[in-house]
Amino acid sequence: MADAASTPPCVEVVDLHKRFGPLEVLRGVSTRVDRGSVVSIIGASGSGKSTLLRCINYLELPTSGEVRIDGEAVGFERRPDGQVRKRSAREIARFRQDLGMVFQQFNLWPHLTVLGNVVEAPLRVRGMPKREAMELGRACLARVQLSEKADEYPARLSGGQQQRVAIARALAMQPKVMLFDEATSALDPELTGEVLEVMRGLAADGTTMIVVTHEMAFAREVSDRAIYLHNGLIEEEGPPAQVFGDPKSDRCRQFLAKLLH
Amino acid sequence: MFSQNLREMLDLALFWEYRQILLAGLAFNFYVFAVSAVVAVSLGFLAALGRVNPLRPLRWLGAIHVETFRNAPDYVMLVWVHFVLPLLLSQMLGQRITFAPFVSAVIALGLVYSGYLAETFRTGIQAVPKGQIEAARACGMGGALIMRRIILPQAVRMMLPEAMNNFVSLFKATTIVSLITVPDLMYRVSMVTQQEMRPLPLYTGAAITYFLLIWGVAALARAGSERWRRKIWA
Repeated sequence: MADAASTPPCVEVVDLHKRFGPLEVLRGVSTRVDRGSVVSIIGASGSGKSTLLRCINYLELPTSGEVRIDGEAVGFERRPDGQVRKRSAREIARFRQDLGMVFQQFNLWPHLTVLGNVVEAPLRVRGMPKREAMELGRACLARVQLSEKADEYPARLSGGQQQRVAIARALAMQPKVMLFDEATSALDPELTGEVLEVMRGLAADGTTMIVVTHEMAFAREVSDRAIYLHNGLIEEEGPPAQVFGDPKSDRCRQFLAKLLH
Repeated sequence: MFSQNLREMLDLALFWEYRQILLAGLAFNFYVFAVSAVVAVSLGFLAALGRVNPLRPLRWLGAIHVETFRNAPDYVMLVWVHFVLPLLLSQMLGQRITFAPFVSAVIALGLVYSGYLAETFRTGIQAVPKGQIEAARACGMGGALIMRRIILPQAVRMMLPEAMNNFVSLFKATTIVSLITVPDLMYRVSMVTQQEMRPLPLYTGAAITYFLLIWGVAALARAGSERWRRKIWA
């Protein structure tokens, strides 16, 4: 226990609120993700899952609360004298370098080749030498089994392949944690398998992952912990066997029952 | 009578006779075009950046720029810049200021076409899907880098046909600079006409020259750019 207290969790969310105008999408979410663990977030659409993920890397600015990466607050800095200073866009961008994100719609850059997509950020953001970046990029493409597509343009790939490129692009920044925002929801059913396979591989390699998903079987199999969000609050949280098998909350039970029928 | 005129119109020998003087005038059309294009692209790009900026005052500035210059007729702008603006400046600075015709032409056309180009640029910039920009931000890329590496390469491809139309219009507009005595092809045709008193072959020759030139260059540019554009949207 003493050990857990001394090393901060990889990602820590503290009393996070997010409001869009009159609509409060997150109403005080707190959780932590330890290094090397896989946490899945489930819930009905509109429950705030994607917003929570997007607040973690500050694509959405939280209305209040804190996100900490390795114990450091993303949104503001606590000075030794106790004063709190908001971080600039540039500083927040620095945090994002360590948070890989995979989107529902892939969002590849169509004017760059597959390899170009993967090495863009290592080259331009990390300032990695070209040769090194290319090597890293090819290694990342190999990890998602797309080495032979390195020189194609994204438009020539299937949805599943595009999403795997997007995963390789996020991996190329060698992030501390990978965020998956419904990575298979936009795919035809026969293409989800190849993407889930890659994600399974990452989890097995000890990648820290936060996975927003509708793939319950996958979430149950891969996660160390599952979170059920309802109306912007964590309604149920625990080991997947508990959350999927024997949830304490009635709402979670109903949600899962609806999905199974 | 009619056929007499027609024959005279189609007899371009006179135009050909004066080709050296006349075609040298085309060089002025190109100079005015080239320099106005640089002015229009630079100002138009700045105005477009203003229009898509999150800061409201900059959006307003961009909008005012676009509305002012896009809605000003070329000819009115030309006359105003050449005759009125120097008077205004003279009064303000307390010394006599005049613009060379070429300078007025470039300022006037540059301003008017910066209005059109700004809208073309803005459309191209806003056509890049938001998700791609989010993906870039998620990789830690900053605003300037995203503009340069993600938005502009695609925006340029998307807006190219419209920008090409703008440039064709700009080139056509360079023919009115003869009105403030820039010695372009039209200006020289009118000079020669005063001497030869045969407007039909001279003006027809000019019309055909402009048509072939603009049509040829535009077709070439379109053909050249289309393959490059298509590559990424297979």
